[in-house]
Amino acid sequence: MGSREDVRLWLCRIVAIVMMVFAAVGIEVGRSETNSGFKKYLMTSYFEKYESLVDSNFQDFLGHVLHSGLCEVLPDNLRPVSKHSVLQRHLIGEGSHRHLSSSIRFDIDPKSIAQLPINYCEVLVVERLPAGVFADPFELQHLQQRGVFTDIAVFGDTNLELPSFRSNQSAVEIHMNVDPNIFQEKALEIKLQLPLHARYQPLDESGYSRIKFSDPDLFMRCCIKGKLQNQSCLFISTTDHAESKTEAAVWRIPSGIKAHSEIVSVVTFISAILSTLAIVWASIFCSDIKPGKSSKQS
Amino acid sequence: MITTNIRSLLRFSALLRVVLIIYGEWQDSHMEVRYTDVDYLVFSDAASLVASGQSPYQRTTYRYSPLLAFLLVPNSIIHHSWGKFLFSASDLLVGYFIHSILKLRKVPEDLCKYSVMVWLFNPFTFTIGTRGNCEPIVCAMILWIIICLMKGNVLQAAFWYGLVVHFRIYPIIYALPVILVLDPLFFQSGFKPKLLNWRLRQDKNAQSYSKMADQYGLWTPVKTIFAKERIVFALVSGAVFLSCTALFFYFYRWEFLHEALLYHLTRTDPRHNFSIYFYHIYLQHECEFSVVEKLISFLPQFVVQMVLIFRFGQDLPFCFFLQTVAFVAFNKVITAQYFVWFFCLLPLILPWTKMKLKWEGFICILVWMGAQTHWLLWGYLLEFKGKNVFLKLWLASLVFLAANTFILVMIIRRHNYSPVFEQLEAATLKNVVKLQ
Repeated sequence: MGSREDVRLWLCRIVAIVMMVFAAVGIEVGRSETNSGFKKYLMTSYFEKYESLVDSNFQDFLGHVLHSGLCEVLPDNLRPVSKHSVLQRHLIGEGSHRHLSSSIRFDIDPKSIAQLPINYCEVLVVERLPAGVFADPFELQHLQQRGVFTDIAVFGDTNLELPSFRSNQSAVEIHMNVDPNIFQEKALEIKLQLPLHARYQPLDESGYSRIKFSDPDLFMRCCIKGKLQNQSCLFISTTDHAESKTEAAVWRIPSGIKAHSEIVSVVTFISAILSTLAIVWASIFCSDIKPGKSSKQS
Repeated sequence: MITTNIRSLLRFSALLRVVLIIYGEWQDSHMEVRYTDVDYLVFSDAASLVASGQSPYQRTTYRYSPLLAFLLVPNSIIHHSWGKFLFSASDLLVGYFIHSILKLRKVPEDLCKYSVMVWLFNPFTFTIGTRGNCEPIVCAMILWIIICLMKGNVLQAAFWYGLVVHFRIYPIIYALPVILVLDPLFFQSGFKPKLLNWRLRQDKNAQSYSKMADQYGLWTPVKTIFAKERIVFALVSGAVFLSCTALFFYFYRWEFLHEALLYHLTRTDPRHNFSIYFYHIYLQHECEFSVVEKLISFLPQFVVQMVLIFRFGQDLPFCFFLQTVAFVAFNKVITAQYFVWFFCLLPLILPWTKMKLKWEGFICILVWMGAQTHWLLWGYLLEFKGKNVFLKLWLASLVFLAANTFILVMIIRRHNYSPVFEQLEAATLKNVVKLQ
């Protein structure tokens, strides 16, 4: 039995060493990201210029995005997409994990679109998340792999564990492919469901925090026929934004109540002390060991 | 009851785990709720980063030793379930080690089998390995350290101890009992330590037992603190721990130090968990904790550990078990995976308990599971229904601490305290000289 044990142990050791050698040699596995000069995400450009997600900076950025050189600019007389309106926006689910559901309609001018040599288009949605919620990048990646979105990325503060008062805002940029045939219609409707999670909120007297979601910022980017991928894109901004037809989505998240603070601390420490005393008492008086003093052997 | 031997038990358990891993794969790809633990995905991502030559700490929330990422590199090469098979194999190894330890202490075969079954067929145990949690590896290392000590291999025990503390910080609590047990009365260079027979557990007048009680006064450890075995153990384990730390610091710098070590020592997670401190931490998280506050919350933990070590240190597995339960119960953060740490030690103390399953054992199990379920109910209302039940959840965690205390007190009261080692006779020394 002893020798079998030893053999097993040696086998385990050899396997462990082989594994470590494997890792040390550094076999090249893993996905490599194609690094084209083409900026996939708008928000990458934002974060090149600014440190963190602040509303005023973002408004500046939006104003300049069309002329920032990221894409070709359309001539003024062409207005392929006249306006967009948010039809519906609400939260699905209960508790700390919910889905933000949005339904958006774009009004299209088919004549303008027909003048452009478009290959395909995608809708870019930038959701600026309020401070109390976050999106899990790994969950979103999983959704992307399942084909729910074309591309999706989270920007800003992505620390999943910090409570709300310590973290900055984050933003989610979602790309969804649009079938070019749609452009023969007069309207394009897209539906989005974004999974979100609540952070621990700052303390509140009422016991709940109310988080309001602002409307998303929308763009359309199209790839022009015949040119190389990393040079030809068109930004179509939807300059006219119709008033939202629905109420803003509001999330009610439980938060701690400051009034509890003292009593919770006191009772917690008292309980810890009581438990300690119980265990110490049991160890010293109730076990069947003889007391520690040495006595002469009888 | 069919008579089975340990091999069939292990084979059956292995089969069960393979089936569960395969089922887990199916559930992951066909259902919304995953079978695999989120942590396993973290390890796998870190391992694939390592395989492509990068730092595993680029993966957020990876807070373990790089060794774990190295072990899981075959996830990217062979199959992404390699890790689960590795953890389940460690799980089975733990069962095998439990059997070895009990056999070394001369426990009868059927008691051995039942004890091993308590580990192998515990639903918590077989789900934790198959879901991809790395705790079975730590448990296997701890049990192997106990075996090494029982066989007198102090060097090997020290090596694995240094490694396990590097892997997971909590085994540092076992340092003092091990040092206490490495008494020159029990350990002499040249031959194996003598183990106290299980049959003598209730015989209070046994020669060896009373002799031990006489010799073991309060000042004995102080006098022999610089015994050879103790120094060797301390130096070797310290050296192993420091070399691992230095090696990985060389590769991964401050990120490694912060994520793998410092984070665990300064962790104050305000999110809800079983610990009684969670609500206090959440209510205070907007202000920094004062040094006094930190000391006060550390004091109960410290006092309990010290009392347990000095009272029960000679019965090593029993001491480890009590320490681990107390450590988890008084910790600032308690997650369900910490329970495995003492589940692996429970079978080692069962043959010495006076508690029968009917009804004392049953009541203990019911109280513990009941307190847990009660907490989980409130946790569900908070997290999945969005109701503000913080106060009730906190009260539930106090109830859970009370349940843990109750279990500890019951087990201490109903245990046949039985030191592992016996004093080596002077006669044995003479025999060794003859052999040589």
